[in-house]
Amino acid sequence: MSPKPTVAFFEFTSCEGCQLTVVDSLQDHPELLDAIDIVQFREAMSEKSDSYQIAFIEGSCTRPSDEAKIRAIREKAAIVVALGACAHLGGINAIRNRSDMQEVREYVYGDKANWFPTYEPRPISAIIKVDAVLPGCPIDRNELVKAVTHLLQGRMPQIPDQPMCIECKLKENVCVYTQGKVCLGPITLAGCDAICPTYGDGCEGCRGTISNPNFQSLREVMLEHGVSEEEIESRLTMFMTNQILAMAKAQ
Amino acid sequence: MTTLLKETLDSQSIYMPTPARIVDTVELTDLEKVFKLKLPSGFELNHRPGQFVQISVLGIGEAPISICSSPSRSTGGTFEICVRRVGNVTNAMHALKPGALIGVRGPFGRGFPIERFRGKDILFVPGGLGLAPLRSLINEVLDERGKYGRIIILYGSRSPKDLLFQAELKEWQRRADIECHVTVDRPDENWTGNVGVITTLFPKVTIHPRNMVSVVVGPPVMYRYVLMELLGKGIAEGNIWFSFERRMKCGVGKCGHCQMHHIYTCQEGPAFSYAEIKHLEEAL
Amino acid sequence: MSFRIMPKAAVPDWITWLRSRYRVVGPRQLKDQFVFDEINSPDELSLDYPTSILPPKKYLLPPTEELFQFTTKGMHTKASLEPRPTVIMGVHTCDMHAIQLLDRVHNTGYADQHYQARRQNTYLVSIECLNPCTEHSFCKDMGTLSVPENFDLHLTDLGDEYGVDIGSEKGEELLRGFASVWDPTEEDYRHVNQVMAEKWPRFSYRFNFDVTELPDLLALSTKSSYWNELGDLCLGCGMCTKVCPTCYCFNVKDEVDLSLTEGHRVRIWDSCQVDEFALVAGGHNFRSTRALRQRHRFFRKGKYQLEAYGLIGCVGCGRCAAACLVHITPVKTFNELYRRHKQGEAVEAQS
Repeated sequence: MSPKPTVAFFEFTSCEGCQLTVVDSLQDHPELLDAIDIVQFREAMSEKSDSYQIAFIEGSCTRPSDEAKIRAIREKAAIVVALGACAHLGGINAIRNRSDMQEVREYVYGDKANWFPTYEPRPISAIIKVDAVLPGCPIDRNELVKAVTHLLQGRMPQIPDQPMCIECKLKENVCVYTQGKVCLGPITLAGCDAICPTYGDGCEGCRGTISNPNFQSLREVMLEHGVSEEEIESRLTMFMTNQILAMAKAQ
Repeated sequence: MTTLLKETLDSQSIYMPTPARIVDTVELTDLEKVFKLKLPSGFELNHRPGQFVQISVLGIGEAPISICSSPSRSTGGTFEICVRRVGNVTNAMHALKPGALIGVRGPFGRGFPIERFRGKDILFVPGGLGLAPLRSLINEVLDERGKYGRIIILYGSRSPKDLLFQAELKEWQRRADIECHVTVDRPDENWTGNVGVITTLFPKVTIHPRNMVSVVVGPPVMYRYVLMELLGKGIAEGNIWFSFERRMKCGVGKCGHCQMHHIYTCQEGPAFSYAEIKHLEEAL
Repeated sequence: MSFRIMPKAAVPDWITWLRSRYRVVGPRQLKDQFVFDEINSPDELSLDYPTSILPPKKYLLPPTEELFQFTTKGMHTKASLEPRPTVIMGVHTCDMHAIQLLDRVHNTGYADQHYQARRQNTYLVSIECLNPCTEHSFCKDMGTLSVPENFDLHLTDLGDEYGVDIGSEKGEELLRGFASVWDPTEEDYRHVNQVMAEKWPRFSYRFNFDVTELPDLLALSTKSSYWNELGDLCLGCGMCTKVCPTCYCFNVKDEVDLSLTEGHRVRIWDSCQVDEFALVAGGHNFRSTRALRQRHRFFRKGKYQLEAYGLIGCVGCGRCAAACLVHITPVKTFNELYRRHKQGEAVEAQS
């Protein structure tokens, strides 16, 4: 593809860590800058253009007033990519969906609660059509480079529908369950090169689930490893609150 | 002259494609395009109807594509494939222009046992893109028309604009020695032909099952209904032939993706008689 | 071919000597488990290991293997076929049987030149298993408790020394010029026979039937409701297939640089246990449930490979059983199918 595609980055409710990972990736892979033309990236540059072909959106939508901004991006961009767990799933922000929204507002903002018209955090795909997703908290930099490569080739980045255990075993990690840890790897979408188990921690499920997760069986695995019901729910809803709530609703 | 497969086997890696040149492309529908390919000089494809090739767009990937030209019309190292734009590789292929290079391995698989069809009536039942592999067999049969009995073609498609190889279809419908009927699920205002699923064409032809071979290629959902018709007409299970679409990653019986029970589709198929696969629940 | 004796004290020197000529890999400790890895100094090698996370198969079929390099313009290609000569130390007999099957698979029909090149450049130094390795293994049932004839060298632990069977010219090569091996005495032969005779009773049978009945048992169990029970239990994580010494299915991917000019095609271990494995164009999945996928795995291991290659597809190493978080194991599965089959027969006899 030539000339270089124009790319813009946007953030909604998030920690901006995924954009920081993009900045890191630009240092690891300076050739990215030869391949794409970044025209808007508040975290990394001051120049700004509103004409772009590819939009990367970080963050979840947590306010009704964000919706118009998200729709405006969709109208301008030929391709919209959800960047990271917040944009992909609602992310950590969605934990508050487990509670009553008014209570949450009062807990956070006290007597100013009504000044802040927030609502249930939701993924970008709840507002507009999203063409591709870069999952994770934060995103995986190799996956970012691969996604850009695919976009340059004129195809949509696709995340293989495989559980993380596959990658973890390819790396020949010692299963963290045998080390007394808890891991969501069996139901979590692969692509991060099993980074947490590689460093001895259990997977927290930040990339969301494979298309057909066996939650029931995984719950039993965790119980068998001495994890309490409460702890199981808190682990499963760290990144997957919206998915768990949707499943409960469907039943 | 050597064959491409021999080259593939003798080359250092069975997985490495040989570059072939796109000499012509013909857009058949919004989704389907025919590519006429030419192998490097000195090579012949030497395929059988029903076989497939692994086509590479380097940097994107590889996909199995059936050969749609008949061996009789694939000379001088040329052959044709009909490609539906459905995935990364096929999308990338559609963007290629004549003159571009494309990777080819094969031909792979077992084709249709055409020598066993001689002297018999042949009922071709292509549905949608299924006409592509069947066109190879149909043209091979038509080029030696005298060796076969009645030739019946029942072709079903979603809509008139989805019909493939329309010029050839017209020619087959015009010929007195071919019984060719076409149906569409959704007609447009100009369509005067049959409307309905493919099985609605069966009443239009008389079938003498004792001497008949039927070759059916189409989407999985079509097989069940056509099969019921054919068995109902009394055609022997060993005389009903299918071709299966599986996502072969290697074409050489190793990668496992096309395995239905114990059978590697890329080795023992993709052409199978119903008698061979009727016990395999993963087949139909 | 012939038999030698090597004192254990000479092994470090032998490893160092081998390392000057070949890449040497073997079992080494990782946390409380073992992995096959490059041996950089002799003390890293643990020949007395129970089992490894991944089988030594990974040196014949690497998890990710480059098939060829290419340029996108002009389509220049170059096959990647120059493996390093590698000595694999300490291969257990189950894994040797697995390699025997892999040899057959990759030499049958269309030969896989990548596998062949690695195999030809691999020296297999196997080791006799004198004690059951883990609670999960069932090599005695599978008939894989003695070494097949594909070894280059085969070691037997005789206490202070190793008995070294030389199985091939390549095996001779690994000892040629190394001084600390000698011809066995009558006493050594007697010792070997005693060690071997004492080993067999330490292993027990775990199947409730003979393995020769397994293919028929599976054929009769095609419609068993047990597959649905396994499907409900199975996480679909695919670990069983990753750790299996006889699994070899793969996916193929192109990787290309950001300028889209150069790249390589790789194959990556794939798993029939994941949803997308049997997906075809149009979204049809011809093995659409975890139950059917588990059945496919067990049929491949217990029936299909035997029919296609004359060797049974499971070698009883127990790795899949150890890896499975929901405790799906071949022993339990086959015994349960056998129990239900017998129960069905009994019910039939009564009616």
